[in-house]
Amino acid sequence: MVNLVQKFVSCCRAAGARISTSEVLDCITQLEMIDLLEEPQFRATLRSNFAKSRREQKKFDDLYALFFHELHQDARMFQADSSSSYSKEILEMLNSVEDQGQINQAIADFLSGDPLAFLNELDRIQSEGEALPQGFVRFNLGPLAGRLEIMIQLNAVRDMIMQYLHDNRGRILWEARRALRTHFEKRLDSAFRMLIRDSRPYSEDVLQVKSYEQHLNQLGQKPFANLTPKEVEEMREVIDQLVRKLKDIVSRRYASRERGVLDVKRTLHRAARYHGVPLEIQFRSRTRRKGKVVTLCDVSSSVWSAARFMLNMLYSLQECFTQVRSFIFVAGLAEVTETFERNEINQAIEKVLKETDIHYNASTDYGETFRHFKRAYLDVLNKKTTLIIIGDGRSNYFNPEEEILEEMREKCRRLIWLNPEPEQVWYTGDSEMRTYEAYCHEIRPCRNLNQLVDFIEDLVL
Amino acid sequence: MEFKSVEDVQVRLEKAEYIPSLEIATVVFLAEATDKPILVEGPAGVGKTELAKAVARSLKRELIRLQCYEGLDESKALYEWEYAKQLLYTQMVKEKLNDIISDSHTLREAVDQIAAQEDAFFSERFIQPRPLLQAISSEKPVVLLIDEVDKSDPEFEAFLLELLSDFQVSIPELGTRTALNIPFVVLTSNNYRDMSDALKRRCVHIYIDYPERDLEIRIIKLKIPGIDTRLAGKIVDTIRNIRDLELKKRPCISETLDWAHSLIALQVDDISPDLVASTLNMICKYRIDAQRVKEQIESIVS
Repeated sequence: MVNLVQKFVSCCRAAGARISTSEVLDCITQLEMIDLLEEPQFRATLRSNFAKSRREQKKFDDLYALFFHELHQDARMFQADSSSSYSKEILEMLNSVEDQGQINQAIADFLSGDPLAFLNELDRIQSEGEALPQGFVRFNLGPLAGRLEIMIQLNAVRDMIMQYLHDNRGRILWEARRALRTHFEKRLDSAFRMLIRDSRPYSEDVLQVKSYEQHLNQLGQKPFANLTPKEVEEMREVIDQLVRKLKDIVSRRYASRERGVLDVKRTLHRAARYHGVPLEIQFRSRTRRKGKVVTLCDVSSSVWSAARFMLNMLYSLQECFTQVRSFIFVAGLAEVTETFERNEINQAIEKVLKETDIHYNASTDYGETFRHFKRAYLDVLNKKTTLIIIGDGRSNYFNPEEEILEEMREKCRRLIWLNPEPEQVWYTGDSEMRTYEAYCHEIRPCRNLNQLVDFIEDLVL
Repeated sequence: MEFKSVEDVQVRLEKAEYIPSLEIATVVFLAEATDKPILVEGPAGVGKTELAKAVARSLKRELIRLQCYEGLDESKALYEWEYAKQLLYTQMVKEKLNDIISDSHTLREAVDQIAAQEDAFFSERFIQPRPLLQAISSEKPVVLLIDEVDKSDPEFEAFLLELLSDFQVSIPELGTRTALNIPFVVLTSNNYRDMSDALKRRCVHIYIDYPERDLEIRIIKLKIPGIDTRLAGKIVDTIRNIRDLELKKRPCISETLDWAHSLIALQVDDISPDLVASTLNMICKYRIDAQRVKEQIESIVS
């Protein structure tokens, strides 16, 4: 039993799950207590120890089905069969192929019921995109080419097995031949499925704020893209009001906060009034905890019409909160915190749009942006940071690098995605919203003032 | 080990008016058998808190609840010195203090003598235990519910780690307190933020989703004995259809129960679109959601 669990854990780790030794130990102790013949109990035990968040559960379910159902059940069935010696022969034949690569070996292992190497390969090609040199024209071909290679190998193996069965048709009974064929085809099919499968985690737990228009203010409903310069000015005033209101709210909250520890000095001071009898006890009021905000804002041509407004919003956020770091990106990113601090709003935006070291004409590449962020700025995120990403998620079919987004999520307190596109077109074309949404705590549309106001209020309250 | 087997958990939780899925029962059984905390996640209103209450009822233990929020700290969660009481006592025993230091000749001696009495003021008498200390120092084993742990600050989470791994806390003036009985701990989270790996590692994890159709019908029949099976089925079907819509807040089990109660009160035995429309405020808590349901009411009820 220990061996089996250990093998399963290795597979999970190969597929990118993080399972610690102590969790394995816990699981094994617990397995001794349950009824192992009851599969749901067995499964629940493994799942509650190895997949400790909703996002990991999907991956776990897939691996569990593969490991305990697809690979092992028919393996047992096969052992009893007389054709097992033939299947061994086939596997030996596959193993003895001249100059076989890693992939071939992995496939052979997979066919013999050990998916570890195969899972490793799949995990490797997923993260391949990073190997490309900087400044090179990027295509999302790394993972694709990797998959293609495995696909070709799988087909080659399939052909070899068919050839073998054909060559040996005199030696093996047709029933055994058929059994062998279905057995290997089933396994090859399941390998194939894993290869093309979209390993997206469950995302139901993401808070999706829908765009319900509750305010009747006309200005509030106009998309940012359709605003005239005069309206932009008006809007600016509304935002100013909002910021003032928020500051009030923040200070009110401070006043009504729970009291802190005993303030000895003030208590003794107050006691002087009553002949040194400390009748009134004074408490230190607690300082307000300062949340940090980090924003990444897409300013590429696809959101160009809204970009100016988005920058407006970044600016107001930075005014509203004390610790804000602002970044803008297209393909690669630049920090604009200082520009915003030093300049008045309109100047700042002009400056950002003209002077920042960013290629505005490049095509948006979220993956590259995330890589850049990981390289240079990952340490600005900590457990007190709220990370806000503003963008349409249209990444021109480049590698979306959702693993980095996941890493960013783990580092920060909350990850919120604001999308300036109408919800109807979120999941169309080159939009990676579906991929990214699973890794966000919250996604919401942000196209007009009402939605912006709602968001800022939610953020503070 | 209080529970004998997974089946035993199921039976006893059902007696405590909570119908667990097999997965929940397994996790409760294992957590109890290995003295590990359970981390419960899931959407609002699927019975995360209710699970802890049901476990407490089935084990006949007291439930101690700690509601987490932003800014929660040790003095609210663990213990606090009762300053007012300490000061009051100091005033009352002032004479006695004078006696103690009456035979001292220097200030240093007087301070030393007072210091020798320090224990009297930093003792059990003046400590006000908060939920966590209550749970640890309780004579009988208890169920400790740490609700919405994701709302607390990372600092508090780190502090919880110490407690959950050793079940002991240190109070500087009194020394280390070790749990007399290890409490059955349930942590709930709404996934507002991710819990740290270290905390997750110490817990057994379970995700509770909206219940399956049959399970939800059983829950209704348990909570509202005497309800017609066919009606219960229709209620659940309707609610499940509503859940499939894109709503701001999806109706959860408690809303299903509320609605079922009101239908019983109205003495209806079948569900029609008009009926749903007129009782919609039991199901939808936002006007905008109610509108959306009304728009599609025909397809929901059929």
